[in-house]
Amino acid sequence: MFNTSQLFPFLISGLAFGAVYAMSGTGLLVLYRTTGVLNFAFGAIGAMGANITWHLIEKTDWCPDWLAYVACVVVATALTLFYGVVLAPRFANRDPLGKMLGTLGFALILLGLMFNLWRSQDARVFRLPTGTRRFEIFDSRVTWTQVVAVLFALVVVGGVTVFLRATKTGTAMRAIANDREIASLLGVPVRRVETAAWLGSGVLCGIVGLLLEDLFGSLDMGTMTFFVIPALAPVLIAQMRRLWVGFFAAFAIGVVEAELNASNWDWPSQYRKTTPYVFAIVAVLWFARKRTVMISGRVTR
Amino acid sequence: MTTMEAAPPADAAAVVVPSRFGRRAAIQAAIIVVILVVAMFVLPALTSTFWVKNFTSAAVLAIVAAATGMLYGRVGLVALGQIGLYGVGTWVTMRLGFATDWPYPVLILVAGAITAVIGVLLGLPALRLHGLYLALVTLMAAAAFLIILANTKFPTGGPGFRGVVIEVANSRQMRRPDIAETDYGYYRYALVVAVLMFALAAAHLVSKPGRAWASIRQSEAAALAAGVNTVTYKLWAWALASFMTGCAGALLAGHVGSPSTFTFTVEQNIILMAVVVMGGVASLWGGVIAGLLAAVLPEVLQDWGFSSNWTLILFGTGLLTNLLITSWQLDKAGIKE
Amino acid sequence: MIEVEDLTVRFGGVTSVNDVTLTFPGGACGLIGPNGAGKTTLFNVLSGFVRPYAGRITAFGDNLLAMPDYARARWGLRRTFQTEQAIEALTVYDNVLAVYEHTTKERAGRQAAVLDAIGLVGLGDVAFAKVGTLSPRQRRLVEVARGVVGTPRVVLLDEPGAGLPEAETEHLGAVIRTIPEQVGAMVVLVEHDMSLVQACCEWTAVLDFGKLLSAGPTADVLRDPEVLKAYLGQEDLE
Repeated sequence: MFNTSQLFPFLISGLAFGAVYAMSGTGLLVLYRTTGVLNFAFGAIGAMGANITWHLIEKTDWCPDWLAYVACVVVATALTLFYGVVLAPRFANRDPLGKMLGTLGFALILLGLMFNLWRSQDARVFRLPTGTRRFEIFDSRVTWTQVVAVLFALVVVGGVTVFLRATKTGTAMRAIANDREIASLLGVPVRRVETAAWLGSGVLCGIVGLLLEDLFGSLDMGTMTFFVIPALAPVLIAQMRRLWVGFFAAFAIGVVEAELNASNWDWPSQYRKTTPYVFAIVAVLWFARKRTVMISGRVTR
Repeated sequence: MTTMEAAPPADAAAVVVPSRFGRRAAIQAAIIVVILVVAMFVLPALTSTFWVKNFTSAAVLAIVAAATGMLYGRVGLVALGQIGLYGVGTWVTMRLGFATDWPYPVLILVAGAITAVIGVLLGLPALRLHGLYLALVTLMAAAAFLIILANTKFPTGGPGFRGVVIEVANSRQMRRPDIAETDYGYYRYALVVAVLMFALAAAHLVSKPGRAWASIRQSEAAALAAGVNTVTYKLWAWALASFMTGCAGALLAGHVGSPSTFTFTVEQNIILMAVVVMGGVASLWGGVIAGLLAAVLPEVLQDWGFSSNWTLILFGTGLLTNLLITSWQLDKAGIKE
Repeated sequence: MIEVEDLTVRFGGVTSVNDVTLTFPGGACGLIGPNGAGKTTLFNVLSGFVRPYAGRITAFGDNLLAMPDYARARWGLRRTFQTEQAIEALTVYDNVLAVYEHTTKERAGRQAAVLDAIGLVGLGDVAFAKVGTLSPRQRRLVEVARGVVGTPRVVLLDEPGAGLPEAETEHLGAVIRTIPEQVGAMVVLVEHDMSLVQACCEWTAVLDFGKLLSAGPTADVLRDPEVLKAYLGQEDLE
């Protein structure tokens, strides 16, 4: 059923993608819990940053590579902060769906801009310096980007967990996530903490953008933008709140999706991209199995 | 506030109930007929075949948009995966169109019915979900289905379940109804079907199911307390919307002849939601606007020298603008969702 | 008549209704108590939104708890909510019709039934206005109209006077007083406005911390020192 010689190489790439799912999932989850906004523009913003990096490296002479990578993070953070500070507050009186629709509109605008600025017909390859260096384990090639991705995911999720528990801002974020009104009454500076959440999310978005473009190998803006859809799978499995459940779900999805490539049959490889969706839908339906009735938004059963 | 004494009960006999088919309804019907006549006979005479085909696409998409808008605006269900069901309608029509001699209207109805059944089956587990969760789950279900569709491909006249012909040169185009072989003819055909779909939706909205849906949308608990079987009516809504979308898919098959799975993408779901919101979800007319936005506007822009990427920017901006305006309105009314 | 026997409702660690046994005799009955006493929870049990941990409820001889929630309306149970739930997108007429057509099988006479209900609450002149355009007082009355249309047996009113100024609650009280006689249904009124309770209800039950504190003729109950103590607290009474 499986081509055993392929299992290990695909495990590596699975872990790498899982790591990216984990990082983006963390960013989306923490931002959602703090601000109530599920940032559908996450992929588009990361893609914009990565494209600017590519442009600076390939199309300009004066820009050193490291600066171009920094530019990606800076651009991603700026775009995220712009949405968070200027647009998101206007939707404060809407339900989470309405808030997400706003980011959806933002994503469409960014996608259109990207398509206009960079014709996607040009075969554009993106490689971080870590992506060009490889080493071998058990006869499989591993790029340093993949290693960095996995390590980074651990650092990010671990770091965020510590941040949320041990720092003042992190505790404030948890307070707001728990009950915004009470947190505000208790003197938590809600707007400032939200801005911090947007900032952190933007930085993470830029980093994820760089890693993802390298792992994908190409700069397909459409793919990157709508990467957010499968990336939401671990967030749903985490029920929008359990960080480490999302972390493990992300890796599980990444590994399973990649390992389906190693099958001897055709169909697992053809349909492997449905993996995140299948996981997420099954999980969500399982969690919703107890019937609930809503009275004006309050669940009473 | 002026002080109120207990008002004497109004005499029931003295209150005149305005008929639902009174003056206002007659005027609306007249307007619709006029617009229809203009669209069917005047418009094609003024434009080229290229534009007639675009308007056909608009009519077909308007059905899907109206169904989606109705679910969101009238029932309170967010369906971010309608393009998946759209694809089902197209696929079923083509498979049956090649395998049988059935007349086109039968193909449309069968495609609609099968899509409706699938819609209800998907709606069953979705009953437990609301708002954001429902939106994301429907989007993911559509994404998964579209991956399957991309691999299964649309039938091209071949054998077996998938009906795909191995030699591309042998692949067939979907036939059209006998009375609507030409592009102009098919345009009018599509318009008629679209009007019938809209009429079906409108008939629901002004009668018992429409009132039940309004109850559910306002408050599911209050609806239950009023005796509305929310399960039945939600599933009915899914069935109607899926039926309409399936029929639209059937129309698309004849319109395009050999649809490509590349045009059925996850992004289309997002764009559909954007134009549905822009068109407005409070009225079925929003579906018409959405169809025009999605199918005609991009071509108009290209005519004026703008690349099609500008439609993405416009739709994104339009969606944001609409949300900003409605948020501001909610603010003014002091309502928090 | 509604007979509640040994009713206990638990949410996780909290017992919101604690072994309550009482009988609502009929006519217009009041149900009062401080916040969190379990009044709305009791209504939610009656509506079918909350399953009790223990206990039975028999209404006019029928086992209410055995019916699914949406079926209780057809049986004759109606209910309003603390936050008004009249359907803004529909007219007053359609709002009331929506309840009638889901609780009554006969189509003939529905127009008269709907208009009767609208007339009872005094909204005859705005019958075809969209509820979204009405004032809070009028919206409450729409809810009451939805509660009395057709042939209900029990009308549960959950704080219909909340947020309304005194002059408007007087009209509301006048409407509620007519329900048992004109509609033939018993009313259970949860309220914090004691003047409204006194104006409408001959009989009242008092809940406190999920337990039944007192029940009987309204005037007696409102003079009961235990009841006053529950509402005002021990210190104020000394």
